[in-house]
Formats: sequence, structure tokens, C-alpha cells
Amino acid sequence: MVNWLSLVVPFAYLTILLGSLYTFSHLYRARKLSKAASLEPWFPPHLQRNIYLTLLHLDPSESGEGGPSKVPDSVLKAALLRRATEDIHRVLQVQNAKPALQSLLQRGSVGDDLWQRFLRAEKEIQEEIKDVVAEANAFAPGWGQLIFQTANEMAQNALLRKRVEEIQAQVTAEKEWWEKKKAGIQADFMKELDEDSKATQAVPTTGRGSDDDAVLVEGGGPTAAQQQGSMKKRKKGKN
Amino acid sequence: MAAEAETFTLLPLHLDPSTKAVSSSSSTTTSAALTTELTALNLLHRSLLSLDTPNGVPPPPVPVNPKRSAQIGKLRETGNTSFRKGAHADAIRMYSLGIDMALGRPGWEPSGLVREEVSGLYANRAQAHMALQQWAEGAVDAECSVEMKRVGNAKGWWRRGRCLFEMGRLEEAREWVGQALEFEAGEQDLVGLMREVEAALERRARQ
Repeated sequence: MVNWLSLVVPFAYLTILLGSLYTFSHLYRARKLSKAASLEPWFPPHLQRNIYLTLLHLDPSESGEGGPSKVPDSVLKAALLRRATEDIHRVLQVQNAKPALQSLLQRGSVGDDLWQRFLRAEKEIQEEIKDVVAEANAFAPGWGQLIFQTANEMAQNALLRKRVEEIQAQVTAEKEWWEKKKAGIQADFMKELDEDSKATQAVPTTGRGSDDDAVLVEGGGPTAAQQQGSMKKRKKGKN
Repeated sequence: MAAEAETFTLLPLHLDPSTKAVSSSSSTTTSAALTTELTALNLLHRSLLSLDTPNGVPPPPVPVNPKRSAQIGKLRETGNTSFRKGAHADAIRMYSLGIDMALGRPGWEPSGLVREEVSGLYANRAQAHMALQQWAEGAVDAECSVEMKRVGNAKGWWRRGRCLFEMGRLEEAREWVGQALEFEAGEQDLVGLMREVEAALERRARQ
């Protein structure tokens, strides 16, 4: 009996100590988590994911009276594919940013906040991929293994087409520029011919005139004028 | 705030019961990003519907549907024949059709294949443009070809260099051919073109 009583004090001490330690660590972690959560997310809102989930939860009753108003599977599949494609972009961004960010962090060039944001984005994208794979498998068995392959090609193809479009968009401007320049060169060439023929008649004033022309031509380059000139001749020869 | 794993933002979406096209139901708050995304989604949906795979799921990229490849190959051959006969305008038309067809491949088909085909077709179209002395178009097409395939595309590199040279854009030509030589070192045509460009630049500097 006496033993028990004398043990109460150390036990109480231990309980209070451990309890306070636990409380402190719990509070500390909770605060850290909430601080991390309050940081700005790395990526903007995932539009494709929102669309997919909205379609999934679209209430049949509100989108029409009776009839098969449930969203068909094909639409959901398309939405899931769009979502997977966006995920590919994000995974690539995360992969590219990681080594650079790590070395910057080691050197102390970026703050810890940025690193926290990045880690959270990384975790989110991993969850996101798992989720997409699960959803894909629910639509068709085995699609989970393929969907990211498909999505990757789609992302690459989209990039490629954008690039081609960008380059091809220059064509009208380039063409206009060249037409203008060609006209200029032709005019210069004709003038030169005129000057030449006049020069053979030895008119002193045109001598100065051709000097001015030489200055004018400099923008396009006299070699180009010669080139074009010889080409024109060739062309005429062919015709 | 952050898109947590269990939550999402409910968007004002509406599904047309007959066409199955998704649209945004509130026209006032729709952002441009949402509109473009929905257009892309509907496009993808339509191309998915035309699939004849068992589950209505895009097939894996690797075994390619040979029909389109054969058509593209045929268009290129027709273009080449026209080019050899001297019907350059016809050749350009054929190549353009081939390019449209290659770029029209569904998104899930291998992008490497698209690059290969498009690069070849653009290079050929550039040549046809050059035969017609349309240097501006030729330069743009050759640039496209190179953009799609940098290594092992000496012809594409050379054609744009030549077009720039013919248009008198000598500095650009020198820069371009210099870049080309980094990829295709020792390619005789490119070395020759480089020499021509350098000579022309020198001539211009002396005048």
C-alpha cells in the first residue's frame, strides 16, 4: 500500500512529461502542416481533373427531364485522357525542376517555402497518377497500363503540331517581305541597265546618279542583286 | 486553394443529350481556358467515337494502323513523280496533302513517326518550291523539316541555307549553315554552301 502511494508521484511525473511532449509535437506538426497547406500551390488548378470529376458527378436529374441523361462513358474516357495528358505535362515539369531546385536549395538560393511547395506538388502528382490509373482500369481492364503511354504520345503530338503551326504561320509575312524585296531588286536592276545604257552615251550627270543607287542597294546587298540578275536571265532563257 | 486528393471544384458544365457535346452552362463566368479545354475535349471525344477497338479505348501507340501510312507514302510518291516530270505545282499540292494527312493522325499514334513523315514531306515540298524559285516558302518549309528532325536531315538544313542565300540574307544563311554543320559535320553540300556564303559575304564587304 505504501509502495503504491510513493509510486504515484513518479508516475504522475512521467505521465505529465510524456503527455506534454506528445501534445507539443502534435501541435507543432499540425501547425507545420497547416503552414504548408497555406502555401501557394505549385501548379494552377487542375482544370482537366475538375472537368472529369464534374462530369462524373453530373446529376442526371438536373441536366434534363427523364431519358438517358447520364454522361456516356465515351465522354468520360475522353475527359480522363485529357486529364492524363495534363498530368504528363506536370510530371515532366516536376522532373525537370527537381535537380535544379535541389541544387539551388543546397546553395541557399531559394527558401524552404518553395521547396515545401515543390514537395507537395510532387506528392500530389503521384496521387493523381495513381487515381487516373485506377479510374482507367475501371473503364476497361488493362487500360491503366496504357493510358499514360497514350497520353504521352498525345502530349508530344500536340507539341509537334503547335511548333509546325508556329513556323508555317510565318509564311505569309516571309512571302510579302520577299516579294517586296524582289520588286526592289528588279527595279534597281532595271535602273542599272538604264544607267548602263545611258552611261555608254556618256552623260555626265547619270554618273553621280548611279553612285546614289549603290547606296540604296546596300540594304538588300549588291551581291543579291547580281545573283537575282543572273537568275532572271536564266529564267528568261528557260522560258 | 490547393486541389486536395478528395476535393475538386465543381464546374458549371452541361451535356447536350443528343450530341453528347459538353459545354459550359453559365456563359458569363466561363473563362477562356475552360472554353478551349472543352473544345479539345469534344474533339477528342468525337475521334474516340470513331474507334473500333473493343472497349472504345485508344489502342497502344506501337502497332500503327497501316492504312494511313500507305496513303501518305503514296502521296509522297505521286509528288516525287510530278516533281521529276517538272510539274512542280502539282508536286507541291501532293506534298501538302501528304503533310495534312500526316498531321491529321490521331494524337495517340506515335509522335516519332509523325515527325519522320512530316520532316520528309516538308523537305520535298521545300525542294519543289525552290524549283519554282519561291525561296520564301522553301525556306519556311525547310525550317519545318529541320524542326521536326534535326539529326540526319542534311537536305533540310541545306535547302533552307540555300533559300536564305538566294534571298540575299547572307548573315542568316551563315548562321544557319554553321548550325547545320554542328549536326552534320563534314557533309559536302553544306561545306560547299558555307564556302559560297562566305565568299558572297566577303564580296559584299568589299563593295
